[in-house]
Amino acid sequence: MLSDSETAELLSFLTPATRPDVKGQATECILGLSGHRDGCRFLRTKPDLIVALFALTSDPSVAIVKNCYHILINLSADETLHQVLVADVKVLPVLLKNLLDPEYLFSDQICTILSNLTRHEKTCKTVFKVLQEEAGLAQLVEIFCTEGYNKNAKLHYLGPLLSNLTQLPEARNYMMDKDRCVIQRLLPFTQFQASTVRRGGVIGTLRNCCFDYAHHEWLLSEAVDILPFLLLPLAGPEELSDEENEGLPVDLQYLPEDKKREDDPDIRKMLLETLLLLTATKAGRQTLKDKNVYPIMREFHRWEKDVHVTAACEKLVQVLIGDEPEQGMENLMEVEIPEDVEEKLKEADAKEQQELEKEPEKRQEEEKEEEKRRTDREQESGLIK
Amino acid sequence: MASSAVQSDSDDGMDEFMDKFKTQRYKNAFSEDGWEEEFNKIPMFMKTAPEEIDPKKYPELACLQAIIHDEDRPPGEQAKSLKDEGNAFFKEKNYEKAILSYTAGLKKKCGDQDLDTVLLTNRAAAHFHLGNMRSALNDAASAKKIKPDHLKALIRGAQCCIALRNFSESIQWCDEGLKVHPTDKKLQELRASADKHKRAAERDARKAKVKEKKLHGEKEALLAAIKDRGIKLLQSVKPRRYGSDSEEDEDDGSSAAISQLSLDGLSSQEVTGAQVFLDEQGSLHWPVLFLYPEHQQSDFISAFCESSCFVDHLAVMFGEELPPWDTDRKYHPQNLQLFFEDEEKETLYQINPETSLLKVLQHKRFFVKAGTPSIIVLKTWYFNLGTSCRVRTTSGKEADVLSHATRQCFFRKVQHI
Repeated sequence: MLSDSETAELLSFLTPATRPDVKGQATECILGLSGHRDGCRFLRTKPDLIVALFALTSDPSVAIVKNCYHILINLSADETLHQVLVADVKVLPVLLKNLLDPEYLFSDQICTILSNLTRHEKTCKTVFKVLQEEAGLAQLVEIFCTEGYNKNAKLHYLGPLLSNLTQLPEARNYMMDKDRCVIQRLLPFTQFQASTVRRGGVIGTLRNCCFDYAHHEWLLSEAVDILPFLLLPLAGPEELSDEENEGLPVDLQYLPEDKKREDDPDIRKMLLETLLLLTATKAGRQTLKDKNVYPIMREFHRWEKDVHVTAACEKLVQVLIGDEPEQGMENLMEVEIPEDVEEKLKEADAKEQQELEKEPEKRQEEEKEEEKRRTDREQESGLIK
Repeated sequence: MASSAVQSDSDDGMDEFMDKFKTQRYKNAFSEDGWEEEFNKIPMFMKTAPEEIDPKKYPELACLQAIIHDEDRPPGEQAKSLKDEGNAFFKEKNYEKAILSYTAGLKKKCGDQDLDTVLLTNRAAAHFHLGNMRSALNDAASAKKIKPDHLKALIRGAQCCIALRNFSESIQWCDEGLKVHPTDKKLQELRASADKHKRAAERDARKAKVKEKKLHGEKEALLAAIKDRGIKLLQSVKPRRYGSDSEEDEDDGSSAAISQLSLDGLSSQEVTGAQVFLDEQGSLHWPVLFLYPEHQQSDFISAFCESSCFVDHLAVMFGEELPPWDTDRKYHPQNLQLFFEDEEKETLYQINPETSLLKVLQHKRFFVKAGTPSIIVLKTWYFNLGTSCRVRTTSGKEADVLSHATRQCFFRKVQHI
């Protein structure tokens, strides 16, 4: 890495007064460093550099600011950097303030950074705390749901940010505040075609919220009516009988011939997992059965090609058509699983995984897909080289 | 009560005064009969205000009104009084009068934004209760413009949008309101309601589309079936006068050929509105007109399956009972002969009763007019006697029923059927 004197020299170049071309070179150099793990770790030991870089985000030159943000994105992708960023460089208040500014040019980069910072619980808690102090989660949702809030930024990465935040119970409680209208604003985005990131983020948020079964009844009630929004991306153009149609939620009735299902298999899996979560309580199971979820799943199962997604679908179908669990075990989330049974279940899960991956051609295909997804995820996490 | 001199008289004066009552009536007393009415006229004791205040009849009231609406008072005060007046009318459910008061208040242009907002919002409420949704919405919007966080205006606006079935706009009003009043229950309720209605309306649109498509598909299948069988539909003049059963007229989606065909070929001029249809087994059922020119009568079979034969129908129509108009009692099924008319060539073609309807329709000279095949029924004895007889056919033209002599060549044609 760099020697101490080199670092000091670099630091001296990172002041607003420096010549633009020198500033540019300096930031480019650090950008290169931040592109790989060792570089990041090195930078972690030099918080002064990061502080200087952060200050340069107010530089008049757009190119310089862009570089700085890219560096910050790379740094935030590495969890070991989080403490430095949040505590030493104190990025959060400034980032949040800029995020709320509808004219700010780099809001998308801010979203990515925040999304990275909230991936793991520890920093997520800190971010949430600062968020509530500075702007409030409601404001964030408001910005997210307002089309064209910022002409210079799409703000799609607020989706994963919200999803990450809802790993915290306090964030979930805020989302599902019965006295406000927060989660309801997110629902239409389960079918937002223009951005997979936004869509995935919203669905991830909904899935996290569904871990709290105390809220299930409210979520399934008319006050929120989450079910159709989860089912629509999974429903297809197949014609159902009049009887089946009439039993469905209104939004799923008489779908046109050109109805497309959700493209991304990961998102499809998330939707199914969310639905499965909603079957935890007896009331939830009853609601899903009453609203004719089964025919939708039946057609979906016929259409689905991805093995993992099919498995998730089958789990859901099993609950929908299976017998009610015996007394005392009605809330599937509260059932005590004895240790030996838990072991067996873990083994069974592992075995299932193995079998799924055993099929030769499928494995090859999957590996190729995995590679592609990994690079996509890397891009998503913003590792910009 | 001044000097002692008066005091010494006062007792007498008092007595005098009191004595008066024994002889004179109290002036300006209420009349015994109409005292309630007069009581009601005094402003203090009025139970209800009169519709119009006639200064002659109600001088005190007119006086009070003048004080309230005195033009010299500052506009803000006047406007406030008008607001109160409007509110009073509103309470009595006299919405028209309330609107007038509020409007007058707004005209004062007193410059008090809060007051104007309230006047507009209240006027919106009055319009709402009269069912003038557009006016109510406009007023609510104006109020919102002055004070974007005025809760009552926001709620009213959302309600109007719902009443006008403009659900998306209603949701927008609610969201605007919830930004400022995030916990307001009424706004949340309205939003949920508008959302629900919106989605139901979308479903209804989808359902209608599916139905229309189905209908269209059925129509196409029907026309295809007819065409496949080689049955010819006769182009006739568009029956413009039938507005109700020309649903084909409004069929925008169909191609020109189909609509042309359906309009001209199938629009039934029958009062019953019966139309040819394709059943689940793929057979066509036609409405068929049976004409009895000898008696100027007709029969109508609403659904004649193409595969059934005429004998079967004749057996039903004439088998058990002969029709009342058959005075000569000659229309027995075995005595009847069936024909169809070729209008263009002015010829009658005889039909073997044992044939099916389909075969007849497929005859190269058979044209289905107005979607309803017509069959002419005559008594057989015309031929047995070998005489020819002129018969008036449905087209009004006269055609020679061929005599026995030429029956042979006629039968040659019949063989095809």
